[in-house]
Amino acid sequence: MWQYNKKLQYPVKISKPDPRTAQIIISQFGGPDGELSASMRYLTQRYNMPYDELKGLLTDIGTEELAHMEMICAIVYQLTKNLSIEEIKKSGFDKYYVDHTSAVYPIAASGLPWRAEYIQAKGDPISDLHEDLAAEQKARTTYDNILRLIDNPEVRDPIKFLRQREVVHYQRFGEGLERTKQRLNARNFYACNPAFDKNCGIDIV
Amino acid sequence: MQNKAELKRRIDAIDFAIYESVLFLDTHPTDHRAMTAFENYKRRRAELIREYESKFGPYIKQVDDVTPGKTWAWIKQPWPWENKGDD
Repeated sequence: MWQYNKKLQYPVKISKPDPRTAQIIISQFGGPDGELSASMRYLTQRYNMPYDELKGLLTDIGTEELAHMEMICAIVYQLTKNLSIEEIKKSGFDKYYVDHTSAVYPIAASGLPWRAEYIQAKGDPISDLHEDLAAEQKARTTYDNILRLIDNPEVRDPIKFLRQREVVHYQRFGEGLERTKQRLNARNFYACNPAFDKNCGIDIV
Repeated sequence: MQNKAELKRRIDAIDFAIYESVLFLDTHPTDHRAMTAFENYKRRRAELIREYESKFGPYIKQVDDVTPGKTWAWIKQPWPWENKGDD
């Protein structure tokens, strides 16, 4: 189960609202490669994993991604506080405002709401780990794109932190994949699926 | 003599180091150097929290850290997404 820590993993202190920026940042909440996708993907894949380190990694990274989702929502929340109707109209934020006012809602920058099709739980650890490696790179690229679009240093600071975390998670998933392959037949890693087939693979320390 | 915001920041930093070592240990489950680092971070966090509490009162992270007083302290004070620090 989850306990909640009443703090952000890294500070978000934005002094000036900016709804145009919020419309970009929100993609890391409800977009295809955002933190909601990441947390749901890892927390979902973990149930069927055959190995302790994969259960641990997916639980622990998935939990950290919930904390990152919270940071993104904090950024969007602070960027859309106390807006005037004029600012809302001028920035194009009116299309979001009509349906959500200044609530924080999981959509992509394009306006498409979050969908479960952004994630997969394929039930094969090699496939799932490749999805996870790709997910971290896609998130990293999205943060790179955000950094090219946004100049505000108060927004850039937490975004740079989040970008670095993607790089570290990628590293950890790579190690998870290596440890998985060490248990399987080196002449054919795909000979059986250790999450489904009996007597598939060996134990390692 | 550290102020409240500075101490909170240092506790947050050590929390982060702890979590980083958790992820590392998940894929390096027999790495004793990493386990030692994890223990050291936890010890350091306990020291920092003792220092915080001696100067500034209860350090509340999770709901079961709360000692109920006249009002339910858990819901008081800014929530993390608000930029209204008591720091």
